[in-house]
Amino acid sequence: MKNNKPVFTAVGIVFFIAPLLLLLLQSLSAPWRFQSGYGVDWKLESFRQLIRDPYLWEATWWSILIGFLVLVLNAVVGILTGKALSSYSFKGKPWVEALLLSPILIPVLAIAMGLHLFMIRLGLADTMMGVVIIHLVPTIPYSIKIFHNSYQQMGKALMEQPHILGAGFFTQLFTVELPLLRPALRSVTFLTIVISLSQYAITAIIGGGQVLTLPMVFFPFLENANASLMSAFSLWFAFVPVVMYILVEVILLLLPYSRVPWRNHR
Amino acid sequence: MRTWNVLLIFMIALLAACGQSETKTKDWTKESWDEIESSAENSEVRLYMWGGDEGINRYIDKSVAPVLQERYKMNLERVPMDTPEILQKLQTEKQAGKQDGTIDLIWINGENFKNAKENDLLMGSFTETLPNYNEYYQTNAPAFQTDFGTEVEGMEAPWGKVQFVIYYDSEKIQSPPQSFEDLQTWIHENPGKFTYPRAEDFTGNAFLRHVLYAQADNPEDIYKQPLDEERLSDTAGRTWDYLNDISKDLWRSGEHYPNDLTELDRLYSQGEVWMTMGYNESRAESLIEEDVFPASTRSFVLKPGSIGNTHFLSIPFNSTNQAGALAAINYMLSPEAQLAKYKPEYWGENTAISMEKLPDQWQKKFKSVDRGASVLPSKKLEESFLPEADSDYVDWMKEQWFNEVVQE
Repeated sequence: MKNNKPVFTAVGIVFFIAPLLLLLLQSLSAPWRFQSGYGVDWKLESFRQLIRDPYLWEATWWSILIGFLVLVLNAVVGILTGKALSSYSFKGKPWVEALLLSPILIPVLAIAMGLHLFMIRLGLADTMMGVVIIHLVPTIPYSIKIFHNSYQQMGKALMEQPHILGAGFFTQLFTVELPLLRPALRSVTFLTIVISLSQYAITAIIGGGQVLTLPMVFFPFLENANASLMSAFSLWFAFVPVVMYILVEVILLLLPYSRVPWRNHR
Repeated sequence: MRTWNVLLIFMIALLAACGQSETKTKDWTKESWDEIESSAENSEVRLYMWGGDEGINRYIDKSVAPVLQERYKMNLERVPMDTPEILQKLQTEKQAGKQDGTIDLIWINGENFKNAKENDLLMGSFTETLPNYNEYYQTNAPAFQTDFGTEVEGMEAPWGKVQFVIYYDSEKIQSPPQSFEDLQTWIHENPGKFTYPRAEDFTGNAFLRHVLYAQADNPEDIYKQPLDEERLSDTAGRTWDYLNDISKDLWRSGEHYPNDLTELDRLYSQGEVWMTMGYNESRAESLIEEDVFPASTRSFVLKPGSIGNTHFLSIPFNSTNQAGALAAINYMLSPEAQLAKYKPEYWGENTAISMEKLPDQWQKKFKSVDRGASVLPSKKLEESFLPEADSDYVDWMKEQWFNEVVQE
């Protein structure tokens, strides 16, 4: 195996960094018309238009709040279910696992009407809690799968050890399991936030316009030929999960045995 | 296990709590207008509408809402949502028997209106109560009586009208085609410089219906008749011949059609094709200003004419503020609000008002508005106006176009 680093860097630049830079460039200039004969025409118009949208901030805060709530619920449900699935064996376990995965196999839109009806009866339609709960449908199966795998990799022995040493449930969770689950927590954070942030139809129907998330403001603008405006919107859209991801990263540092910058290392 | 029990109890409690729903509000169409206006004061009206155009959004937020605030101390809240989602929400609420909805006003027409009307999602017939509608609108005009072939029956009030035009770059094309035969010749002379969106797209379908109108002996045979495939077979045959004839000289030799108008607009913006189109005679203005379209963009209509349609405002069955919604619609139909909508400053869209019914001073104000160089004079637009056919033609075109043109 030779050193693959240059290849990785080249692929990374061509496929990830260059498109992002193009997006940034486009958002800061007038739409490019190659026949027009001008070079890049620097303009802040697209960001001005973005900021001028009266619902931009409201929608951004809603999206962040909902994203975090969905993440917390996902972590709780995912960790508990994942642990249960990997530590107990019972009759019909494959069926239970299949059932837990089923929400991603059935399109959410197909059951949206039934869920909406149910939410109206529960009084959850047109509320934020309703939107948070509906966002669990496309996210929870992934979280369960990810945590299940992590616990599987840790193995039963590592779970028995703290138990033998007399640790209670929470001590075990915070000092043994969560630090080892850090990579899984990262994956779940990213997946959950990105999925929750991009739900349009189910948010519109369950939130009923009372809960205004970013896609509700952005998606109608996709039918727009103005590439600069689209780029500005896309960057804003990408910015939100990145900020949230960094926040979660900071929270993860608070876990025991983290390599925190302010502690001495060997 | 205990958490589940708690959750279950919580859910049952919720279920019980929302068992009783409000009784139906009174029938406002039977009240006097003064009564409606005084009840509309200090209320909140929630207007749900498609939110993908900054100009339209700003017209509502900056022009309509402040006046309503001043006049009725009414808070008009615009909620961006696509019409099919709005209808799905209403449909489910209807099924659940939810009488206290969140939507007071919707922007609707065509297939969506048909769907809403058939499923009883609207409040009912209300246009007769609106003073401005009765005073300034040609209430018996066919454009207000039917909406894509569906009887309106006063269930929606006309807010504006648009007409289909084709846009071209006047720097590249000196004299645009005059008729569909001219267009055919032009396409053959300039291979690869024209295309149209697929039939599934709203605009693409409208273009195809124009071809159908043009191939009929008389456009009336289409828009005055319900869809009858047998009677239509000759016209349809000529339409497919026309489309198959031009297809090899379309962009990418007709092997690929733009999926929607946005794709066509981008091609036009990049100069790959020299024409684009749109079901709105003034839509190029804002795109020119944003530098998306070249400043030399102009528009034209083809013989036998250009299809136009009306779009409407309506009130859902479970609006909790019907009086407020009526007052808001009445204002949005007024000459004042229509003039602000007509000016290119925000939206630049044509008014649904009949000019003859307006006092002279208002007529002058409308006439003095400069809609921009890419918009055809209103006389030209009026002369070429053709009404929309039954909405069955839209679906028919979607199916047949794929079989007859794409698969050829």
